[in-house]
Amino acid sequence: MNYLLHVSIYLSIYFIVAMSLNIVVGYCGLLTMAHAGYFAIGSYVYALATVKMGLGLIPSLVLGAMIAATLSLMVSLPSRRLKGDFFIMITLVVQSLLFTLLNNWAKPGMEVGTWMNLTNGPFGISGIAKPTIFGSVFDTIGGVAAICAVIAGMCGIFSWIILGSPWGRLLKSIRDDDLSARGLGKDPRKARLQAFAIACGMAAIAGGLYASYVSYIDPSSASLDYSILMLSMVIVGGVGNFRGPLVGASLLIVMPEVLRFINIPDAVAANIRQMAYGLLLVIIVHFRPQGLAGDYKIE
Amino acid sequence: MQIFFDGSINGISLAVLALSFAIVYLPTRIFHISLAGIYALSPYIAWTCLQKGYSWPIAAGCSIAAGITLSLACEILNHQFLEKKKASSESHLVSSLGIFITILQVISLIWGNAPKVLRTGLDSSYGLGTVVLTNAQLIEVSASLLLLAGFFLWLKFGNHGLQLRALADNPTELALRGYNIRFLRLVSFFISGLLCSSVSLLVAYDLGFDPNGGLSMMLLSVVATIVGGRNTYLGPVLGGLCIGLLRMEVTWFIAARWKEMMTLLLLAFFLFFRPQGIVIKKARLEADL
Repeated sequence: MNYLLHVSIYLSIYFIVAMSLNIVVGYCGLLTMAHAGYFAIGSYVYALATVKMGLGLIPSLVLGAMIAATLSLMVSLPSRRLKGDFFIMITLVVQSLLFTLLNNWAKPGMEVGTWMNLTNGPFGISGIAKPTIFGSVFDTIGGVAAICAVIAGMCGIFSWIILGSPWGRLLKSIRDDDLSARGLGKDPRKARLQAFAIACGMAAIAGGLYASYVSYIDPSSASLDYSILMLSMVIVGGVGNFRGPLVGASLLIVMPEVLRFINIPDAVAANIRQMAYGLLLVIIVHFRPQGLAGDYKIE
Repeated sequence: MQIFFDGSINGISLAVLALSFAIVYLPTRIFHISLAGIYALSPYIAWTCLQKGYSWPIAAGCSIAAGITLSLACEILNHQFLEKKKASSESHLVSSLGIFITILQVISLIWGNAPKVLRTGLDSSYGLGTVVLTNAQLIEVSASLLLLAGFFLWLKFGNHGLQLRALADNPTELALRGYNIRFLRLVSFFISGLLCSSVSLLVAYDLGFDPNGGLSMMLLSVVATIVGGRNTYLGPVLGGLCIGLLRMEVTWFIAARWKEMMTLLLLAFFLFFRPQGIVIKKARLEADL
């Protein structure tokens, strides 16, 4: 039972990540490799807010989302001038910058969470508090699973509402024909800025939930591997609608779990999983550019 | 002075790698990220040959041949099909990324993740005034310079070199004039594989190697291409030299852990304020996207 709850927690967390990435990739038509950085920011903010400031789950998640939304300008401002491969490169730069910052903002001997040793470098932050809402601590795996499911559901409803609204249709029109949208008096730059802020904020919420579950966070959560995993979810599942990212996240979270049951040694399971992600990317781009259940073709 | 020489040697190696990226990017506009996989794989092939008792020339030859074959396979089995479908540059990039991830995991499965070395024992060193250079560094710099000189001579005077330059300038017109574009693309992937696997061997001989070094070097070579100027073959070479020197200076004067950040800040600066790079005439980045 605990195992199923563990998988359901990961599913909830990555549903949020995939839905947030769908806003940028599926509705803005921009591939980003920096999402893991914002996920990690959410994790670190949650860790520091709970460990150092004693805040509860909701204020910590809101704080993380606000900081990530502000820092999303690092990606959204370049999107005003750069497109295609060069935009992807700048997102890689942002991802590397965030990783380097989280990995290096440390000074041995100083207290963790202070200005000089904010992230504790590669050692990360441990002993992160379990989720607390209005004074109630959810320290069982069932409690955490329930909280993650509720927050994922709320993010899903939020995503459903905004993407189905006129604003969501504006994003689609900008993605398909930027010039025509501008001709109709719309402001594509502002819409992209808002989309990135919302997407990065949602990724930070997922990161906060992740930190609250595993009680430990280190810079590896901002690594390129995680960004590739997140991007794989939306490319494999498909983007441009609501179900595609959910299919992608489910597939890429459940697939490694299936490997556990087919007697693949643990030592090679991670490699085989990564290899499967790589091959899936190639196959999807060639044979189903809209993903398994998506509407928008990345071609 | 020592820092300058060390930085220059790193820069020259990076220049060759950046050139191997640019030689595909310029004529085809493909971000050949799978080169990172070729870069990671080449030293392992040489290492295996050496372990089996083959001589250095045979090991190097096998390694370079494997790099070239893999690079050609990327074009024949992947990019050519996408090109026929008129796929976007993002599709090429994503599929190339997928190939890189697959190669990387195959390397990890076969050889493991532990760092390895191609030479054993202490390297001999030579003094040039106040500067000390190791034997491996001298081999690295002389072979890299030879590769650069050979490439530019071929590009300037060779028939296919001329066609490759024309392909980079205007592929449509070249095709209309009856030249075999598919063959020229294969030539660019061939040279790219050759340069990439050669420089990978040279760096591995000097510093050792592990599977994860490929992507970071590849990103550096992309940065070098953007910084130097992505519409000429000379730009990536210049960019590689600049970045090699910058990283060595940052390591010496600030701290090694900040050299990635400084490199990426340099890239951000160029993308925002001088997207055309150092060597070419002014043009907006959007102009040829």
